[in-house]
Amino acid sequence: TPRHATPSIPSRTLPARQPTNVLEEARTRLHVSSVPESLPCREQEFQDIYSFVESKIIDSTGGCMYISGVPGTGKTATVHEVMRCLQHAADMDEIPPFHFIEINGMKMTDPHQAYVQILQKLTGQKATADHAAALLEKRFSNPAPRKETTVLLVDELDLLWTRKQNVMYNLFDWPTRRHARLVVLTIANTMDLPERIMINRVASRLGLTRMSFQPYSFKQLQQIIMSRLNKVKAFEEDALQLVSRKVAALSGDARRCLDICRRATEICEHSGADPSATGLVGMSHVMEALNEMFSSAYITAIKCASVQEQLFLRAVIAEFRRLGLEEATFQQVFVQHQALCRVEGLQPISVSEGLTVCQRLGACRLLLLEPSRLGVLQRVRLNVSQDDVLYALKSE
Amino acid sequence: MTTVLQHPAYEEERLQRVAEQLPCRELQAGMLLSLMGEPQHYSYPSIFIYGHRASGKSHVMHVLLKELELPHATVSCVECISVTLLFEQVLLSFFGCDAASLLPRSPSLSDFVRVYRQQCSHSPAKETRYIVMEKAELLRDTDANLLPALLRLQELVEDNVTVILLSEIVWDKFRPNTGCFEPLVLNFPDYSKGELQQILSQDRHPSYSAEFYSSYINILLGVFYSVCRDLRELRHLAALNFSKFCEPLAEGKVKETDTHKLWRNIEPHLKRAMQTVYLREVSSLQWEQMQQMEEKETGALRGLSAHTHVELPYYSKFLLIAAYLASYNPARTDKRFFLKHHGKIRKTKFLKKNEKTSNHLLGPKPFALDRLLAIFYSVVDSRIAPTASIFSQISSLVTLQLLTQVSHDDQLDAPKYKCAVSMDFICAISRTVNFDIVKYLYDFL
Repeated sequence: TPRHATPSIPSRTLPARQPTNVLEEARTRLHVSSVPESLPCREQEFQDIYSFVESKIIDSTGGCMYISGVPGTGKTATVHEVMRCLQHAADMDEIPPFHFIEINGMKMTDPHQAYVQILQKLTGQKATADHAAALLEKRFSNPAPRKETTVLLVDELDLLWTRKQNVMYNLFDWPTRRHARLVVLTIANTMDLPERIMINRVASRLGLTRMSFQPYSFKQLQQIIMSRLNKVKAFEEDALQLVSRKVAALSGDARRCLDICRRATEICEHSGADPSATGLVGMSHVMEALNEMFSSAYITAIKCASVQEQLFLRAVIAEFRRLGLEEATFQQVFVQHQALCRVEGLQPISVSEGLTVCQRLGACRLLLLEPSRLGVLQRVRLNVSQDDVLYALKSE
Repeated sequence: MTTVLQHPAYEEERLQRVAEQLPCRELQAGMLLSLMGEPQHYSYPSIFIYGHRASGKSHVMHVLLKELELPHATVSCVECISVTLLFEQVLLSFFGCDAASLLPRSPSLSDFVRVYRQQCSHSPAKETRYIVMEKAELLRDTDANLLPALLRLQELVEDNVTVILLSEIVWDKFRPNTGCFEPLVLNFPDYSKGELQQILSQDRHPSYSAEFYSSYINILLGVFYSVCRDLRELRHLAALNFSKFCEPLAEGKVKETDTHKLWRNIEPHLKRAMQTVYLREVSSLQWEQMQQMEEKETGALRGLSAHTHVELPYYSKFLLIAAYLASYNPARTDKRFFLKHHGKIRKTKFLKKNEKTSNHLLGPKPFALDRLLAIFYSVVDSRIAPTASIFSQISSLVTLQLLTQVSHDDQLDAPKYKCAVSMDFICAISRTVNFDIVKYLYDFL
């Protein structure tokens, strides 16, 4: 039996296909994983981080920086670009050489694994979490000749939270040591994370060097896509503007913007049969992609539900109206259901069938249910707003 | 016997043997046979069979699988207190003990599926394999993923396997909240009176005629059918009381055909059996002994529930009485019952009770330790110091489960108790200390 089998992704046997037409070319360029050389619209943040790290390396001191921002605002990409530039500068002997390591809270099974990973990336040693912590402690507190500055990037910081917060405490305490020469860059999604989850001694060591990445505005999003496409003419101007405006209004997430654009190119390709199309991604394609992405799946699910299921949802709402509450037992809803069946001229269903209908709706999370062993006494709540249900049931 | 089972895949003779063992279940057996199809065909992935206790669910499955010699594993979910045992049993009966030993110490579902597939590739199923789960309602209390996985085991292990779940509970109470593969639901209906008569008449005594035994069963059903339709219970009662039924015959007083006299003889006996042996007050062994001893009247022996007399220390008895009074009397009436000079009694107002339900119907109410002690000092005539022994007697009453502690949050400061003894018990106790408890109970004013 494969006891120590490691899961892996199957390797590619053939090389990736070269794009053959404009749309495919655009699609490869718009892929999230093809990070461009320079990040547009993040010049200011780039400069700030660069100067912070550079000054620490030149002064051979240590420090912490906290970077926050909603997903898809380019935090990780910017930091990586900074590190690339600094590495380049170090290679050119403009600044002293340094060591860059990166850990990600999401990739760890346990917060204490952070020590193990840091130690392994620093020295190649393998140790248990406790031992690794002790070794790192020794390394960062004792003076050593010919020591390089270490730059540590901690992504998804909030997952390193433990009850005693000792992992976070150590990460922020080491840079303050005299001989540590450690620069810690931390990334998380929320701006007030230090105030919310960290105890005072941890938050104070993190310091006040904070930076927050604002969500992209529609102009910036448009610029990002333009720079990605880089003269490949695949989109109409208006279509691009629509995508960026829509995304900027909702979240300002660049990754989502790129996803929608890629989907729009696919839609364009599939509808390429009609000769009137110019071969460019137009408004209609983008609209379709946007609808796919942003429309609620719940409403579609209700629209496609069976007659009895729709009737049951109607009975739920009728019962909520009667009770004036947002919760009812299955028994109460079922009485309404029977009445509705008679009104609609359908054969009233049995309790067992009613429970099946109810539990099917619960399984696709349109309803929130209690465990089924309570039988007819289980309480029913709606997981969608009543207006959504009514809207979906009305438009037939 | 209306229809004999028919199926093209099995020999006539074998089906005949099956049908003989399954009286009054031909319909269900035929349905199951047609669902199972020919041995090498794929059957439905999971079948859920429900019906009342002793409606022949396990028996039908067992006889079918045994007589038709199909590969099967019968697992009782009561025995399998952990999933490990369940997996081991399934693998053991399909692939032998080598396969079961391949499982790691605490196997997960994926371990089971992996071992199963591995074994299955060595010995692929030529015939449908059946896993019969008895008392399947216990599967709901195991890991949440076990029941959904069993329901689509055929898909998971890619083998010709069918899971059959037997339960007394309807399928609606099984369905996991996240949905699952829906099994085929079959119902085994209860036996009717005629069917019970037919089945019970089969195990007749060889030294008596069939008509004689069936008339006995008829009388037995006449007495017991209104309270009990459980075949196992009825069969047990029939076996116990048959010797009494035959007694007049052995003495030569009546003939076999004299049904009325036989009925006159046995009927009061069966009525008494309903109150004693059916409730397990008197064990079957004692019942048989009593039948042998003629002079001793049946039912005169004190049953289990008559043995409720408990020897308690003197003050413990009073503590228990005080606890009972505190539990079943409203606190506002304490002044009237237990204080000597409690002011004027307005007789008319007090005697009229406006509560509609009595406290004895609602069950005991919790009371604080202070109130218990106050009532205790009031009902005991002599002066007693609140020594450690009094308090330890209270806690030992709790360990004897005569009192129960209600809230566990505070053990020392103002604990609350409930009295957990019945009215009969407390009356017996108070008689031993010459205390008239009924006079002090608000419900019996």
